[in-house]
Amino acid sequence: MTKVTFIEDNGNQIEAIAEVGQSLMQVAVNSGVSGISAECGGACACGTCHCYVVDNGLVTLPTPDGDEADMIEFVIDPKANSRLSCQIAITPDLDGLVVHIPASQT
Amino acid sequence: MPLTSSDQLSFDPLSQAFAADPYPTYAALRECAHPYYYEDVDTWMLTKMADVESVALDKTMLRGNDDVLTDAERKAQQRKMNWHDMPHHERFVQFNLLESEGDVHDRLRKLVFREFTPGMILKQRGAIQAFVDQLLAELADHNEVDFVEDFASHIPGHIIGRMLGVPDEDCPQLRVWSENVVRFFNVGCDDNDKRIAEQATKDFYLYLLDLLKLRKTAPQDDLLSRMLLQKQDGLMTEDELIATSMLILMAGHGSTIDVLGSGMHSLLQFPDQRIKLRDDPSLIKTAVQEMFRYESPLPYFHRFATQDCTVAGQGFKAGTRFGLLYGAANRDPARFDAPDTFDVTRSPNRHVAFGGGTHFCLGNHLARLDMDVIFTTLNERFTDIQLVDAHPAYKSGLSVRGPKSLRIAWRAV
Repeated sequence: MTKVTFIEDNGNQIEAIAEVGQSLMQVAVNSGVSGISAECGGACACGTCHCYVVDNGLVTLPTPDGDEADMIEFVIDPKANSRLSCQIAITPDLDGLVVHIPASQT
Repeated sequence: MPLTSSDQLSFDPLSQAFAADPYPTYAALRECAHPYYYEDVDTWMLTKMADVESVALDKTMLRGNDDVLTDAERKAQQRKMNWHDMPHHERFVQFNLLESEGDVHDRLRKLVFREFTPGMILKQRGAIQAFVDQLLAELADHNEVDFVEDFASHIPGHIIGRMLGVPDEDCPQLRVWSENVVRFFNVGCDDNDKRIAEQATKDFYLYLLDLLKLRKTAPQDDLLSRMLLQKQDGLMTEDELIATSMLILMAGHGSTIDVLGSGMHSLLQFPDQRIKLRDDPSLIKTAVQEMFRYESPLPYFHRFATQDCTVAGQGFKAGTRFGLLYGAANRDPARFDAPDTFDVTRSPNRHVAFGGGTHFCLGNHLARLDMDVIFTTLNERFTDIQLVDAHPAYKSGLSVRGPKSLRIAWRAV
């Protein structure tokens, strides 16, 4: 069981139980998270599933590369902890993951 | 001979009734148990959101079917579509970023996609606002306008032209060429459309060649100059550069003009929604999304199956052509509550007006920013906007959706 938490820009918190094999974007969409519209469906082509990963000491994610890194460079308000949630595959190691949704996407 | 589902269904996308209101037909198609086979273009029409999304996101479903055809079969198909004997169109329009797949597609997309990412597009806000202000100043004495021809049609081409590096004064000509090339993709096009499309592609090509010569000697801060450097570095060929430029200019014109017209029409058909947006301008993002969902400007794309597959519970052979009716999927009640209601607050609004998967619309952020600036400005400037013609005529055909003209009366604040 992998528990992930989305914090919307208005402070609203949504906790979800993610299944291994899903992408974090799919978990967000299925949980009705506002601000993750993920319009291209996970092809790394739209940048509308951008999120900030919170450093809470529980989860460490690898640095984005390839298409994801290219897109993150040019999303609105990119930060060092920016990720595209469509490129994050859920694994048991991600239990406790917390992400913020950017204000620009609400 | 494929089985035709729902024989009783009348599907005539070239009819005036369909142009006036395609949504009852889309609803009837969605309610069929199986996809509808449209014999005229040898295509299985998908109208349910679940089916459309699954095919759009399926990496084995491609825009082209070259992988499953022999060269002779491909040429026969080209003849059947009447896409043969038009050398410039074949060279620069029938092959481009949109029509390519795999490594070629990914390479071409990567070369230009940075220019269209959200952060880069946001830099265009000032230029869009300035041009909208200029147009409105020129129309200041007009109490009644054709919103499409007098206003909307000038804006997207001007902005995309500037990004690419086209002089402002050439934008009207580019719009004509773009429309003549794009028109050929509609179902029901004839030999005359073919001749016009080929001539427009040739003229467009010669124009771009001249412009590239200028950029070669005097590079500017524009996409053409940057693509020239990429060509010099061996990252793209000259034909790819021309085809990509044409695609960006064509895609940047018509569909945004169409959705500006239909978006305004929607606001005027649902005056409570216009008042809601006027009273709370922060709703502009959801309002623009709803404009794309409610009247999707490019309601029809296709994919070919590259292997035997099951779609909508039905088995299909490799080589089958599927029609993705985005305009129908975007009214699917299985995805949207009250789908035939225009609601500027709708959220989430997971429509497929920009397509899906690797061919997701490159210019989506630019189109939305154009819409954001335009409708925000109009709401600030005009207290009252009324339809002059209660039933504006829409373009006919399956591939485009938008009013031919939209006469409105407006009163400034």
